[in-house]
Amino acid sequence: MNDGTPSAPTSTHVAEPGHEVVEPSAEDFRRARQLPVEDDWYKRAVFYEVLVRAFADSNRDGFGDLRGLTDKLDYLAWLGVDCLWLPPFYDSPLRDGGYDIRDYRKVLPEFGTVEDFVEFVDQAHARGIRVITDLVMNHTSDQHVWFQESRRDPDGPYGDFYVWSDDDTRYPDARIIFVDTEASNWTYDYVRGQFFWHRFFSHQPDLNFDNPAVCEAMIDALRFWLDLGIDGFRLDAVPYLFERDGTNGENLPETHAFLKRCRKVIDDEYPGRILLAEANQWPADVVEYFGDPEAGGDECHMAFHFPLMPRIFMAVRRESRFPISEILAQTPEIPHNAQWGIFLRNHDELTLEMVTDDERDYMYAEYAKDPRMKANIGIRRRLAPLLDNDRNQLELFTALLLSLPGSPVIYYGDEIGMGDNIWLGDRDGVRSPMQWTPDRNAGFSSCDPGRLNLPIVMDPVYGYQAVNVEAQSNSSASLLHWNRRMIEIRRQHPAFGLGDFHELGGSNSSVLSYVRQTVDADGHRDVVLCVNNMSRFPQPVELDLIAWKDWTLTELTGGVPFPPIGELPYLLTLPGHGFYWFSIQPGQER
Amino acid sequence: MSAPTLDALLPALTDWLPGQRWFAAKDRTVSGVRLVGQQEITPADAVPAVAHAVIAVSFTDDGPTDRFQLLLGSRPEVSGELEHAVIGRVGDRVVYDGLADGEISRLLLSLIVSDTTVGSLHFVPEPGTEAPIVGPGRPLLGEQSNSSVIYGERAIMKLFRRATPGLNPDLELHRALRRENSREVAPLLGAIEGEIVPDDGGAPVPMTVAMLQDYAANSADGWSMALTSVRDLLAEGDLRPDEVGGDFAGEAHRLGKTIASVHIELARALGTERLGADGVAAVADWMLERLDLAAGAVEAVAAQREEIARVLNGVRAADDEGLLVQRIHGDLHLGQTLRTPRGWLAIDFEGEPSRPLDDRVRPDSPLRDVAAMLRSFDYAAFHQLAEWETGAEAPAYLQRRAQEWADRNRSAFCDGYAAIASTDPRDQLAVLRAYELDKAVYEALYETRNRPNWLTIPLRSMARLVHDTDPARGASDH
Ligand SMILES: Nc1ncnc2c1ncn2[C@@H]1O[C@H](COP(=O)(O)OP(=O)(O)O)[C@@H](O)[C@H]1O
Repeated sequence: MNDGTPSAPTSTHVAEPGHEVVEPSAEDFRRARQLPVEDDWYKRAVFYEVLVRAFADSNRDGFGDLRGLTDKLDYLAWLGVDCLWLPPFYDSPLRDGGYDIRDYRKVLPEFGTVEDFVEFVDQAHARGIRVITDLVMNHTSDQHVWFQESRRDPDGPYGDFYVWSDDDTRYPDARIIFVDTEASNWTYDYVRGQFFWHRFFSHQPDLNFDNPAVCEAMIDALRFWLDLGIDGFRLDAVPYLFERDGTNGENLPETHAFLKRCRKVIDDEYPGRILLAEANQWPADVVEYFGDPEAGGDECHMAFHFPLMPRIFMAVRRESRFPISEILAQTPEIPHNAQWGIFLRNHDELTLEMVTDDERDYMYAEYAKDPRMKANIGIRRRLAPLLDNDRNQLELFTALLLSLPGSPVIYYGDEIGMGDNIWLGDRDGVRSPMQWTPDRNAGFSSCDPGRLNLPIVMDPVYGYQAVNVEAQSNSSASLLHWNRRMIEIRRQHPAFGLGDFHELGGSNSSVLSYVRQTVDADGHRDVVLCVNNMSRFPQPVELDLIAWKDWTLTELTGGVPFPPIGELPYLLTLPGHGFYWFSIQPGQER
Repeated sequence: MSAPTLDALLPALTDWLPGQRWFAAKDRTVSGVRLVGQQEITPADAVPAVAHAVIAVSFTDDGPTDRFQLLLGSRPEVSGELEHAVIGRVGDRVVYDGLADGEISRLLLSLIVSDTTVGSLHFVPEPGTEAPIVGPGRPLLGEQSNSSVIYGERAIMKLFRRATPGLNPDLELHRALRRENSREVAPLLGAIEGEIVPDDGGAPVPMTVAMLQDYAANSADGWSMALTSVRDLLAEGDLRPDEVGGDFAGEAHRLGKTIASVHIELARALGTERLGADGVAAVADWMLERLDLAAGAVEAVAAQREEIARVLNGVRAADDEGLLVQRIHGDLHLGQTLRTPRGWLAIDFEGEPSRPLDDRVRPDSPLRDVAAMLRSFDYAAFHQLAEWETGAEAPAYLQRRAQEWADRNRSAFCDGYAAIASTDPRDQLAVLRAYELDKAVYEALYETRNRPNWLTIPLRSMARLVHDTDPARGASDH
């Protein structure tokens, strides 16, 4: 669509010439019940990213939908996750997995209706599960009525909603993000006879946040969903909201100012809801998105820690803790109300923007042996195939995810070790339907298999007959049960979510050990020790635990007491890729 | 603890000394201990009291005496943690190794921070730095030739055990590197300096007692990291070193850069000079002397004496332009490097502790350090095989893989070094090989005496350095 051929606006809200579009209001809908306001729920939560279209299909059209997802809430409650993150489910031409929004206040018809969404949030809340949704503020689909109006009527109310220019030379310092598909950040539009600015695909024009009306419109879109009852937003692609001459157009002060405005709306009108920033930047830049540390953070409550994830993969491949130690040492302190979001995998490729060139070459060589496994600057694979389906490594990686500082985000299907389909285009390879049962269509849908939106994974190792929820629910030794148990243990120890982080070091560079520690309002101290063997060989490690002399260690998965901590370094031996979680408690009072 | 009472401790010291990790003369039998210097740091009746002492130890073999430094603590009574540090009872006091006492290490730190002089002892903070005041110190456990205490993962203080007249090169070079704001060493924070009467009598001269520097928290030493990598390789079916996950070459490359930076900083701080023909001849002669010493004890060295001498004489290749020399580390190996979350550090600039101070501070070619590091890669590569195959030869395919690991990491180290230094160490191949072979000959002697099942490691390298002129191998790798 680089030629700018006008595409029919399919949005329902058509503007009268020269008038503003009338958009639906939250008043028009029922609202979901609310969970009690808890200030730091997002710091203690385990998040679960679920793609509506890939989870469960209730109406046999081959697409997962909101009702299907609602039907599976019991499973998610059983698994023990605290918050669901839904990537965009809005009306969209789906040229970028829904990140190309055509209407901010309408649900993609295949997924259902706004009423279905409210019912889903209501049912999630009934089970104590919160819901955050993706919101793309930076750009819309070129089919959004705002863009259609903007290109048609430069002088109308939307004429200034996008970034237009007579030539394509402005902002030369802004890098091109989708280097595989885009040659420029400017595309010519024949209708309006000008170029429009887009940081991502050329069918996703950037909104013009210098126009106060755009800011208002966006904040109203936030209010719409918050009024219906959601618990927050993951804000997609936030670094790029503004553009300025002579800059690379990332992390500009204007962008931060707008996010602070959004935060104020949340604090004033919707306490207890959160903003989670997606800013694929170095941690030193990302901390800016938490806002003023003096104020405890007055911008986003959470932000993803991007460079940590590839470092976890590198550390295990190198059998050295240093790739992780290094990035954590380079991670600045964050405001006390802020929290990192951490993940092993998500719906995007394993992002390698935040590693050095050397490291990227290395990661490609190790983890993307087939060129089809690469996408943009990343690797498109799920966790289990990335780790050769090795149960020990899957457990080690998950133990790291659940215990490193930050709130973990689990990607749907990784809890059962689902595989990917590298033959599907774009990033769809890691978006195949959830595998519920060994039955037809993996229990995802009862439609004719030919109608499935994306094919089920059929491969002998990762296919739905080998890997599915039903079989794993029935076996207490399964990966699913193991994951559930670890999430449960994590919940029992606030230190995992709230605690500070202290790496213990030790002379064995293959072992990464750290202590997480928190003290609650009543002075009750929770101390957790995590010891991880990055090597495939058994390893001894001597830990300096002198600060807890005479305290005792209890292993958390089995509750077995270990010898008390004495004067000498504490000696542990770990199996290859093994890990321990301990609770450290004061010794018996005498 | 006045002088007469300390004398009463000497018999107990005779029993106590051989059990100390830092006691360097374990193979000799102590015949007597004499007190040659002492300085009270607190009043003798303080609790705890602490004093610095220098003792001269003589041996039943009537060989040269050795002199050591002690920090002695005393209390009316000791319990718990201090019990294992007790040396003996003197009068109404129990005397023990003072570094084991957290209160004493805390006192030493605060004396340094407050820039104090107590009699002949000077506690000096390093200008422009601020040592953290962090509670009592804890003794460092593990193999050590000196004794260190760690202050809350913030600072580490090393008490030098050998009592050597003069400025200890460890302190001297750390001072120089601190002036250069080196990021390649743990910054110096302070020192304790005292004095000693020279061996041959006369007026007391300065002596370094202890050194305080930044503690590199969360670090691991290069030797154990290299062994991890080798272990990973040898366990693989048939992958090459660059194909296994535990590849060390990236680290070796960064380490090469670190060492090159140290050399540049030392040259900047303390200067360089060119050794003319005489100087180069002296270096060659010294190597040949060591060769003869080794040939007297190691058959395999004697058998190849002529070939070895020919390679050692390669150092004379530097004659034309003269050999560029400067202050160097002097005892570099992977165990003298620490990998921290911020990169590599070099530690312990004392030089080979068994050599006299004059030798250790003499400017030498940086290629000696490079060669020593290359030797260390060989050791790391073959260490596991030597441990497995006590006596017997390891299977050829394993030896080949270990050699591949050594080659790969040696070249990565040289590449890293060359990326920072103005020259590639391999450009002066004859000199580099001479230094490396000299080191291997010395190792052969050392292993014959101390660890015979490791002897194969230097012997294998000797054979390669003497016979193998294939430029694709070892240090000649490009
Ligand atoms: N600055 C430092 N930070 C952390 N650990 C250190 C530091 N310096 C030394 N160490 C540790 O102490 C050990 C002994 O130090 P070293 O200077 O080599 O003492 P010695 O001269 O007694 O051999 C080293 O192997 C290292 O593990």
